[in-house]
Amino acid sequence: MRRREVVQFLGAALALPFIPRRAETAIKLGEALHRRLADVPFRTLNREQQALVTNIAEMIIPETDTPGATSVRVPEFIDLILTEWASEDERAPFLAGLADIDKRAATLGASRFVDLPTAKKAELLTALDGARDDKTGAGLAFARLKALTVYGYFTSKVVDQDILKTEMFFNGYQGNVPFTPAV
Amino acid sequence: MAPMTYDAIVVGSGISGGWAAKELTEHGLKTIVLEAGRPIDPAVDYVEHVRPWEKRYRGMRNRKQLERYQPVQRHTGACDEYASKFFVNDLDNPYSTPDGKPFYWIRGRQVGGRSIMWGRCVYRWSDLDFEANAREGVGVDWPLRYKDLAPWWSYVEKFVGIQGRKEGLAHLPDGEFMPPWELNAAEARGREILLQKFGGERLITNARLAVITENHLGRQKCHLCGTCYRGCITLSYFSSINATLPAARKTGNLTLRPFSVVHSVIYDPQTRKATGVRVVDGNTKEMFDVNAKVVFLCASALESTRILLNSATAEFPNGLGNTSGELGHNLMDHIMDGGAVGTLPFARDKREVGRRPDAIYVPRFRNVKTKQKDFLRGYGFEGRAFRQGWERGSEMSGFGAQFKRSLIGDLGPWQMDFGGFGEMLPRHENHIEIDRNLVDAWGIPALRINCAYSENEKKMQEDMVVTAVEMLEAMGATDIKPYKEDNPPGLVIHETGTARMGRDPKTSVLNGHNQVWDVPNVFVTDGACMASTANQNPSITYMALTARAVSYAVGQMKRREL
Repeated sequence: MRRREVVQFLGAALALPFIPRRAETAIKLGEALHRRLADVPFRTLNREQQALVTNIAEMIIPETDTPGATSVRVPEFIDLILTEWASEDERAPFLAGLADIDKRAATLGASRFVDLPTAKKAELLTALDGARDDKTGAGLAFARLKALTVYGYFTSKVVDQDILKTEMFFNGYQGNVPFTPAV
Repeated sequence: MAPMTYDAIVVGSGISGGWAAKELTEHGLKTIVLEAGRPIDPAVDYVEHVRPWEKRYRGMRNRKQLERYQPVQRHTGACDEYASKFFVNDLDNPYSTPDGKPFYWIRGRQVGGRSIMWGRCVYRWSDLDFEANAREGVGVDWPLRYKDLAPWWSYVEKFVGIQGRKEGLAHLPDGEFMPPWELNAAEARGREILLQKFGGERLITNARLAVITENHLGRQKCHLCGTCYRGCITLSYFSSINATLPAARKTGNLTLRPFSVVHSVIYDPQTRKATGVRVVDGNTKEMFDVNAKVVFLCASALESTRILLNSATAEFPNGLGNTSGELGHNLMDHIMDGGAVGTLPFARDKREVGRRPDAIYVPRFRNVKTKQKDFLRGYGFEGRAFRQGWERGSEMSGFGAQFKRSLIGDLGPWQMDFGGFGEMLPRHENHIEIDRNLVDAWGIPALRINCAYSENEKKMQEDMVVTAVEMLEAMGATDIKPYKEDNPPGLVIHETGTARMGRDPKTSVLNGHNQVWDVPNVFVTDGACMASTANQNPSITYMALTARAVSYAVGQMKRREL
């Protein structure tokens, strides 16, 4: 990963002084950041929903030695899909599910998910991760959020080009190349 | 305007029209190709290397635009955010179907037609297929046998450039092959296991593909980017644009006229021949005539028949060349969407480099040596072993740094998919006709399509699921997910029939050389001509039939019989 180049790219694109390193930092930055990004208007998610979506997306794919979901603008992608691509039948249950996530947070001692301590956030997301087959509510919203976060992250230019290093030209096909997972 | 005059007219520039153009011009005939759609410029229109982040919805399709302008076309996977431009606007190209009997008519109107987005799978037939109608008393007997078409398959295969593995199967004859891509580690292991467990009856072989693995006739070998349906700047897969039309152009005998929507064939009752075709200019909507000694209809199965139906005269009130009453009838497609996918227990330590557009094939094994009780004919499987990579993330449990590392650094287990493609029987009641209340954007009467699968196809589809699961179980697969979808016909995009070949003018529209019995200087060489479909992908057969028909027509012209 040529981290410096990525930072430079994102810095230019987002007019950000630096890339947030941790989910917590990203969220603290959240509202100030969105005020600054007047050229990237969120059209469906309100400020609270943006903060929630950004927080969860960054927890699904956090900043590590490579960029996280926020850095590659996954929340903006999710808003675009909600606004222009999703039908009302899909959008409404998703937004209701986001509200449900905050309600679940209330049972853990905070009025909103974003105000929970990190450990409690992880506890709630683990529960929602097990409820991804739910047809409504928080489980459904998390399932959609997770799918869009993964998709938006890996189809972003930075990840496609600098992390996956997707190539278009191969000199012949090889179907039997030794492989050791790097995890 | 005064009619333009040529030796030959070819209607359509897709797989069949491209071949007709190449063969006619190479025989020295001044030939005009009339293409309904727009020209294609590979430098601009081919988009195989466009990445998701270059598209507004990252390749998730422009859903609302599809719903509005391509409500039919959107049902096929290739009509996506990159390649939807190669499929027709359904509002301009309407057709009707009876309530509760949908048919998905997937079309490409442009120079190259659907040869731009086709699936590139090429399989010969055998006499098991050619003799089936006669043996079972279904439809009419083919006027052809394997020996009649084999040299023409060889002829076109050598030009097309086909990779494949010789298997020596009597019911799926080998062709003219260049070396295929190897099977990947999981497919190779699967092949071994199936050979052991099914004694060779169910065989995993390399897909036979019109994608070249060696440089061939000025076209570069495939670079494995994996998205052929969007075009190919190295011309590595076969299409009219990549191969036949350039060959035709080289002769100096080709005139290619895009935006030329053929309305009808013009028939002269004195000579009992066609004088040419009537055309609507796609842009100005002005009507004009083109004259020629011979007309090749290669507009795609339903479009060619539509032209004949719209060419009715006093002598042929039900459509030109329709003495038999079979014009428009015996519409077929294949049946698909029966199969299974499962997780393989082996080859975790192997990966692939390069993206093959297609991978494996399981040749037909039903009603080959043994007889099935509940259905006639058979099916083959297309498939592949693949690793999902990051795309498994939406279904994988977990989140956070470890989750992310796994999506970046691991590929997930190998999965194997077998998807069946089965034969559909010809039935008289599956037919097309002119809808008197509907015209397209050029004022040309549109079709009403009446078509449904029969019990034979549905039983076959059920069997696909069973045998796919059996093969996966034999491989020790886990998490096996059978699938069966109840899609309308048309979606396989192998629509054929409606102007069938036969031995008798009383029961068929075309003779054994694709020549209209009633109007000898009109030939129909696209999918309309088929008397049955077999289960193999059809395009290579249209190519062979077209080259054969041109050779026959040119011979007749030289003998002044046309």
